[in-house]
Amino acid sequence: MAKYRICVIGGWCGNRLVMVAEHIAELLEKKGLDCQVKSHSVWENYNQPPVSNLILQLLPAFTEAEVGCPVINVRPFLIDIDHPQTIEKILTQIQADFALTTQS
Amino acid sequence: MDRQLYLDYCATTPVHAEVRAAMLKSIDEDFGNPSSMHWAGRNAMDLVAGARMDVARGLGCSPDEITFTSGATEADNLALLGVMRRHKPGKAHLITSSIEHHAILHTSAQLQQEGYQVTILPVDGHGTVDPSDVRKAIRPETVLISVMMVNNETGSIQPLAEIGQLARESGVLFHTDAVQGIGLLGVDVNLQNVDLLSLSAHKIYGPKGIGALYVRKGTNLAPLLYGGSQEKALRPGTENVPGIAGLGAAMRLASQHKTQENSRISRLRGVLIAALQERIPGTLVNGSAFVSPHVISISFPGADGEMMLLNLSKAGIAVSMGSACTSKDIEPSHVLTAMGLPRDQIEGTLRISFGYPTTDDDVASLAGILPDIWSRAKVN
Repeated sequence: MAKYRICVIGGWCGNRLVMVAEHIAELLEKKGLDCQVKSHSVWENYNQPPVSNLILQLLPAFTEAEVGCPVINVRPFLIDIDHPQTIEKILTQIQADFALTTQS
Repeated sequence: MDRQLYLDYCATTPVHAEVRAAMLKSIDEDFGNPSSMHWAGRNAMDLVAGARMDVARGLGCSPDEITFTSGATEADNLALLGVMRRHKPGKAHLITSSIEHHAILHTSAQLQQEGYQVTILPVDGHGTVDPSDVRKAIRPETVLISVMMVNNETGSIQPLAEIGQLARESGVLFHTDAVQGIGLLGVDVNLQNVDLLSLSAHKIYGPKGIGALYVRKGTNLAPLLYGGSQEKALRPGTENVPGIAGLGAAMRLASQHKTQENSRISRLRGVLIAALQERIPGTLVNGSAFVSPHVISISFPGADGEMMLLNLSKAGIAVSMGSACTSKDIEPSHVLTAMGLPRDQIEGTLRISFGYPTTDDDVASLAGILPDIWSRAKVN
């Protein structure tokens, strides 16, 4: 089975983008969720949305229709990288997607 | 849009053709070292003297009160460090404001580290320093007040003459960073009671890497650099002659055109604000009614400034925004924060700034495209 792909989308602030992506990757690993987490700056490439199972956006770059997968607004991470409600939203989405994959 | 549109004149301006010509002449013909005694040196020295006269005329001062620097950051540093370091740390006190450029705020922080006392004044919701706050902050040990002429993010004009008067009455020196004011507003260091004034060429269609500090006669500054006797040993080092020629030409142009440009740009500003407020609900203009017309700080609450900036840039339009990336965070502008704006308003803020090349068509293009860009940048 292909790894579940998550892409964190950010902008000019590359440091924050990488920090968020690394933090999410660590968190998911601790939870035993096998995912591949990448980061993508819209300043480097805005024409082609990344192919992913889940998009986490620090800024409103893409819509679900454009990327063909769920998109979660993770803007609260700009202030609090451990923002509980946002983490909860991400985990709920991934667990739901994992459950679907297991069923199929 | 099939053309590029530059609307970020607060960040920098293109070099004017007349400035370029003056600089090229200096590079090609007046290449001598102004300190040399022979003809080549004298030609270069004449050019520097002419430019010094142009800058002095623009400020209403004497040419020997002008010191050329590498730009406004150096001029600001020279003013603050130069005045304060003539006094012993511990006692000497500096007053500045929370909306100053980092060249002032970070220099003030350095002075604080060196043991000097620093008071940073608040501003009101329009981004203006209240002279009565200045009055209250003055102490017997205050030696310098530094308040900018025009804020670079909102365009708010600060009450220089009143603050200058207070400083004069209290026997305190008054410095102003006039970088954003010099191109469109009247400056007279005597009328405004200014003792030190910083300016930069590249904000007024001159080259980057050159600026000046006006130092009122009799003001005693400690130099930042040590070396030759150039600039009366206050700023040693061989003069940047092409840069100085460019600054002189830029000051001449500013003095000739500022009144007419101020009125033309004021009209364009009004047109853009009215169009955006009509087309984008909730649009807010930041800053006081008393502004330099070339700066518009405009907030679209609920939208992401960076996405608007990115999409405008993709469409060929250059503006800037109200937040900056630091090593750990997207940091809201210290100016808009000091004005008490909420974070979501700051994050949806763009700074649009006009220059002499800006036309009615440019304003119409921006007003035409921005509603779609705003709609796409809304944070859900």
